[in-house]
Amino acid sequence: MATAVALTGSLLLASCGDSDNGSSEDGKTLKLWHYEAPNSAMGQAWNEAIKEFKAKHPGVKVEFEEKGFEQIQKTAPMVLNSSDAPDVMEYNKGNATAGLLSKQGLLTDLTQEATTRGWDKKLGASVRTTSVYDTNGVMGSGKWYGVPNYAEYTMVFYNKDLFAKYKIAEPKTFDELTAAMDTFVRNKVTPLANAGAEYIAQQYLYQLALSKADRSWVDSYELYKGKTDFHDTAWSHAADTFADWVKKGYIAKTSSSAKAEDAGVSFIQGKSPILFSGSWWYGRFVDEAKFDWGTFLWPDSNLTLGSGGNLWVVPKGAKNKKLAYDFIDITMSKKIQNLLGNKGGVPVAADASAITDPRSKALIDNFNVLSERDGLAFYPDWPVPGYYDVLVSETQKLITNSEQPDGYLDALQEAYDKGAPKQ
Amino acid sequence: MTVTVEKRVTSEETHAGHPRRPRDSYALFLLPGVLAFLTVIVVPFLMNTGVSFTDWQGVGSPSWTGLANYRELMDDSEFWESFRHSLFMVLAMAAVPTAVGLVLAAALFDYIGKHFGSRIVAVLRACFYLPQVLPIAVAGIVWSWILAPTDGSLNELLKAVGLSSWRQDWLGDPDIALYSVMGVMVWVQLGFPLVIFMAGLQRVDPQLHEAAELDGAGWWRRFWHITLPQIRPEIYVVLTWCTIAALKVFGAVYVLTKGGPGGATNVPSYFSFTTFFEKTQVGYGAAISTVLTVIILALSLIGLKLQTRAGTA
Repeated sequence: MATAVALTGSLLLASCGDSDNGSSEDGKTLKLWHYEAPNSAMGQAWNEAIKEFKAKHPGVKVEFEEKGFEQIQKTAPMVLNSSDAPDVMEYNKGNATAGLLSKQGLLTDLTQEATTRGWDKKLGASVRTTSVYDTNGVMGSGKWYGVPNYAEYTMVFYNKDLFAKYKIAEPKTFDELTAAMDTFVRNKVTPLANAGAEYIAQQYLYQLALSKADRSWVDSYELYKGKTDFHDTAWSHAADTFADWVKKGYIAKTSSSAKAEDAGVSFIQGKSPILFSGSWWYGRFVDEAKFDWGTFLWPDSNLTLGSGGNLWVVPKGAKNKKLAYDFIDITMSKKIQNLLGNKGGVPVAADASAITDPRSKALIDNFNVLSERDGLAFYPDWPVPGYYDVLVSETQKLITNSEQPDGYLDALQEAYDKGAPKQ
Repeated sequence: MTVTVEKRVTSEETHAGHPRRPRDSYALFLLPGVLAFLTVIVVPFLMNTGVSFTDWQGVGSPSWTGLANYRELMDDSEFWESFRHSLFMVLAMAAVPTAVGLVLAAALFDYIGKHFGSRIVAVLRACFYLPQVLPIAVAGIVWSWILAPTDGSLNELLKAVGLSSWRQDWLGDPDIALYSVMGVMVWVQLGFPLVIFMAGLQRVDPQLHEAAELDGAGWWRRFWHITLPQIRPEIYVVLTWCTIAALKVFGAVYVLTKGGPGGATNVPSYFSFTTFFEKTQVGYGAAISTVLTVIILALSLIGLKLQTRAGTA
């Protein structure tokens, strides 16, 4: 055993050596990784950005490698430690991902570039939160380690045809939303598309909590700026209401094992009249929904889920950092941002008048409403590594009635306290 | 995991005209295998064991914590719960397929083979073996469609035959999900014992059966007193192999339920995976996988011992 430990120690030391500090820039190649599908808004905008980059940097080769989300998520720490690190890559925002890498010194500090190139001015306050991390890897303050090109937020997608069929008007208040769901249940239609096995269910719950919360509550929960009590008004309201919705049939008991894709498809097929989820569905619904649909922000709530999108980061060991900064700068330009907006994304620095597509315009207008009232409250699984699984697992128990709201909140409290930094 | 059973070559067994080589010359042939084994299994295992004594997030420097991870593991109810589910998996992937595989193999060999011909037997055997060939990701996705609560073909079938009250949320009800996964695993695993046992049955001297038949022994009696004892070595191989597979099961759980609902189908390998990658508690995840490896190793050794004994009996 002693030999094993000694061997391990030496191997670990060998694998955690100092990486290249990027001093050997040759300025000839830009190595770029991202995981957006080529037909998504981001994929299209970034393809255009690559073309633009090539035009501005004749003679520079762009080595683009399309990666998978999971692939980067699971292997980034190892790759970034090696000499194979790209010059610029898309990476997940949040404490457990970009925060962790920044804390370990694997990412380049972009503060100076962000100020001299004006990226800091282009990003609104709540979008900027996920770009900066302190020395403990906690978002919200400190140095710049990533730059998002887009934002994301949640909204209520609703099937206008089904609402019309049952003579229900678009809900403007929470009570009207509840009344609408009652009407559907009376007509033997389960109103809410849900997925217990993935993020959808926990996002309903978090939204219910947000409707009774304010910015300081979010700061406590997400940025550890105060104590989080899961038995406070907001969380209690969320758990009680959610459990009640399952009882009343607004949410199907059988949705505990459903995946996000199932929820999306049940909306697209016109089986569920309402889906509360994020802007990432928008483009797909435009393409695939064969009925008239619309969106509105969650009624009677100043806050909703959302944040800046995933980040461009520059690994510490990148060989051509200057080229990487130039590329990021191009992605933040009006031309690329407007393209992203017109393709169904939510740009962070677009020209409102340049967005011509009416649906895209509505999407961006709603985002601007949120931005102005500082309404982005991030996601419930962010504060603690592995919290996503805890939330999935516990919320499933709430759906299957194998746990009561009180026990549910106890379980969330325990996992949160175990994983969050001590206040 | 490779298993080699060394058989001593006695002087009677060496053919005349084939001079025996000195033992050392075999070492050279073993070298590539040994090197691969060291690189792919031994070194990573030692590294993993080393990591399990540290607190590490997968990047940066690990900090030495001694046995803290193992102490935490002892008190971790989620870990023990996942192990309890492992025992259910052993039932579904080793016990049930072995028992059913035995009966099926004997039935195919004795009855179907005699009455319908070997071609039908070959087709049926291939059908039973097919799930072993299918990638578990594909099979898992298809099963999740079959078991879906609304529009799932199993529930639709029950409805069609007038058994609507039997419809269930197969993978979403915490009281049923584990049994559903077990059912899928029986389907996946059944072909393996069947093929091994059918090969084993070829070995059995038909005269034994004929003699017993003349003495008036029925099919069950012959199965019990001749078939079973004769293919005991195969039974041990299958049981060992399938038990190890059951303890390692990951793909099916990942694709079907992700350990849910509410941890109802969590198993140690999936628990280790999420601890590693989702919670970035690499040291703790390594401790889980080390414990799992030690248990599998111990069971394999016991299985090999039994196998050797059965082989020489």
